Amino acid sequence: MSRGYRVAAYYLLPSFVFVLLFSLYPIFESFRLSFYRLILTLPWLGQKFVGWENYYDLATDPVAMKSLLTTLLFVAVTAPLEVVLGLLMALVLNESFRGRAALRAVMLIPWAIPTVVSAQMWRFIFNDRYGLVNFFLFGGQTHLYLAPLADPYLAVVAIMLADIWKTSSFAALIILAGLQTIPDELYEAASVDGATSWRQFRHITLPLLKPALLLALLFRTIDALRVFDLVVVMTQGGPADATNVFQFYGYKKTFAEGMIGYGSTIAVVVFFVSLLFSLLYIRLIGARILQRSER
Amino acid sequence: MSYHKPKLIAGFIISLWSFFLCLVPVRALAGAQTEIRFVNWKSQFPKVWVEALAAFETQNPGLKIVQEIGPHSSTEFHDLVTQKLKNRDPAMDVFFMDVIWPAEFAAAGWALPLDRFFAATEREKFLAAPVLANTYRGQIYGVPVFTDAGMLYYRKDLLARYGFSPPRTWPELVAQAKTIVAQEQDPHLTGFSGQFKQYEGLICNMMEYILSNGGSLWDEDALQGTLHHPKVIEAVRFVRDRVIGEISHRGVLAYQEPESLASFSQGRAVFHRNWPYAWEIANDPKRSRVAGKVGITVLPAFPGGKSVSTLGGWQLGISRFSRKPDPAWKFVSFMSSLQMQKRIALFAGRAPARRALYRDPDVLKKRPEFESELDVFVNAVPRPRTPVYIPLSNIMQRFFSSAIAVRDSNIESLARLASRDMNRVLDLLRERTRP
Repeated sequence: MSRGYRVAAYYLLPSFVFVLLFSLYPIFESFRLSFYRLILTLPWLGQKFVGWENYYDLATDPVAMKSLLTTLLFVAVTAPLEVVLGLLMALVLNESFRGRAALRAVMLIPWAIPTVVSAQMWRFIFNDRYGLVNFFLFGGQTHLYLAPLADPYLAVVAIMLADIWKTSSFAALIILAGLQTIPDELYEAASVDGATSWRQFRHITLPLLKPALLLALLFRTIDALRVFDLVVVMTQGGPADATNVFQFYGYKKTFAEGMIGYGSTIAVVVFFVSLLFSLLYIRLIGARILQRSER
Repeated sequence: MSYHKPKLIAGFIISLWSFFLCLVPVRALAGAQTEIRFVNWKSQFPKVWVEALAAFETQNPGLKIVQEIGPHSSTEFHDLVTQKLKNRDPAMDVFFMDVIWPAEFAAAGWALPLDRFFAATEREKFLAAPVLANTYRGQIYGVPVFTDAGMLYYRKDLLARYGFSPPRTWPELVAQAKTIVAQEQDPHLTGFSGQFKQYEGLICNMMEYILSNGGSLWDEDALQGTLHHPKVIEAVRFVRDRVIGEISHRGVLAYQEPESLASFSQGRAVFHRNWPYAWEIANDPKRSRVAGKVGITVLPAFPGGKSVSTLGGWQLGISRFSRKPDPAWKFVSFMSSLQMQKRIALFAGRAPARRALYRDPDVLKKRPEFESELDVFVNAVPRPRTPVYIPLSNIMQRFFSSAIAVRDSNIESLARLASRDMNRVLDLLRERTRP
C-alpha cells in the first residue's frame, strides 16, 4: 500500500509541479501585487507598497462597481437559462431515435467553435446594415434596420444571447452524462405502477439529476463570471460602458493601462467571488450525494 | 523494490516529458536569411503593403520581412503591441505606432530611441507636428509614415442641388443635413456619419467638437481635468442632441472608421467625418456608389470658434527588445522614405508626413486638394502627449460614450466624475522623481 502511494506520488509529481508553477504561483503573485502600486508606463515610480489602498479604491470606484453588477447580472441571467436549455437538449438526446448520434455531434458544434469566432459571427448577426436579426425583423426594408450593438441595453442582451447559444450545449453535455447514470429499471417500475411521463420526470429524473444540474450550474456560473472574449470582439465594453464586464475592466487596467497593482486587485476579487460560488455549489452538491448514499 | 525501480523511473520521466515538452519554446530554425518581424496595423489597402514588403526584400537580399497584421482599431492594436513589449518579446522588431503612443512607449522603456539613426537634418524634412509627437524628453522614438487629420467629406451633388456651400459651423451642418434629408425621398439617407463607438476614435471625433468650441480635454500645465467646463458640456450636448439625435443613424454609436465610411460611400450619409484615406475609397467606383460626387473640406467649428482637426497618423518604431536593430532600421528607413510615402499617398490615399510630397507633381495631380490642405495637416491638433495617455483616454471614452449613447444622460454629473477620475491619474505625474 505504502509503496503504491510512493509510485503514485512519483507519477503525480510532474503535474503537481505544473499546477504549482502555472496555477498557484500566479495566484500568489496576483495577491502580492494587489498590495502594491506598480504602473508600467511610469517605471520611475517603482513598486510601492500601499497596503489595502487598491482594495479601498476598488470598493469606491463607481466604474468597477457598475462593472461588477453588470457581470453578476450576466451570470444571473445566462447560467440558469443555459442549464434549463441544456436540460431540454439533454432530455431529447437521451431518447433513442434515428440520427441521434449525428444530432449529438451537431449539438456540440457551438461549444466547439472558439468563442472569438462565434463572437465575430454574432457581431455580424447583430449588424445594423446586413445583420440576420434585422433581416428577420424587417426583411428588405433596410432603412428600418436597428443597431443593437449601439444601444446600451440591447448590447447587453446581445452578449447574453451569444453566450447562451454557445454554452448551453456544454451544460447539456454534463446533464446528459447525469441522465445516463439513472438506471432504466426505475422507469420500468414506474411505468408498471402507471406513472405518467411527467411524474416520472418530476419524481425520478429530476431528483437523481440534481448533482449533474448543480455541477452544470457551477461550471456555467464560474465561467460566466469570467466572461471576456465576447465583449472584446462584440462591443469593447461600450456603448456607454454598458458591457464593461469585470474581467474586461481588469484586463483594460492591467494590459492596456499598465496598472499592474490595481489590475491584480481586480483579478483577486474575481478569484474570491468565483471561490465563493464554488464553495456554495460544492456544499450543495456534496449534501445531495450524501443524502442519496444514506438512503 | 529495486527490481521495480527502472520501470518507476521510466514512468516518471515519461510523465515529466509529456508535461513539459509542450512548454519548451521551439525555436524556429534560423536560415541564412535575417528575419525582421513586423507587426503591421490592418490597412484598408493591403496590396500597397504587400508590394512594399516585396520591394524591400528585392532590394535587400538576405533580409526577410515576416508580417503580422493586427486589428484595425487603434485601441485593440495597442493591446496587441504592448502585450509583446511587456513580455520583452524579441520576436517583434518593428511595429506601427499610433500618434498617441510614443510618449508611453518611451517612458516605459519599450521603444528604442532612434536618435543615432534618425538625424536631425532628416527630421527637418518631415512635418513638425508628427515629429514632435514622436519626441519624448528630447529623444525621438518613431518615424512618421503618414499623417492624418480629421476632414469633412460631403456629397457635392446633394449640396449643389439645394444651393448649399460646405458648412462652416456645426449648427449649419446640422441644418443643411436636415433640409437635404427631409427633401430627398430616400429612406436610407441620413445626415452624418462619424466614429462614435467607445474606442480611441471617439476621442478624435469628440475633441474636434470640444476644441472648436473653445474647450479642452484637460489642462496640461495644471494637470487638471477640464471635461466639466461649460464649453465642453455644450459641445458634448450638441453631439448627443443634434448630431446623434437629429441627423445620424444610431448605428454610428458602434461605428469605427470602416463602418462609417461604408455608410457614406453607399450613399447613406450627406456628411462624413474621416481621415484623408477615405477620399481614395469614396471615389473608387468599385468600392463606392458615390464616386465622383464627393467633396472634401475642413471640419466646421462652433460659431466664434476655430476649426480643429485631430492629428492622427502612424509611425514605425523599433522594439528595445529587438536583437536586430540595424536591419530593423533599414526597414523603417525604407518604409518611411520619400519614395514609399509617395506610393502610400498615391495608392492608399494617406497624407504624407514628408513636406516635399506636398509639392510633388504626381501627388498633386492625384490629390490636388493636398496643396491647400497642407495648412490643415500643419495645424492639426495632437492629443496631449503623456505616458498615462491610455488611462486618461479610457476615462474619456467612457464619459463620451455614456454621455452621447443615452438620450437623457446627465452630462454634467458624468463630466464631474470623469474630471475627478482624470485628476487622480494626472496626480501620478506630479510624483516625478526622475528628471
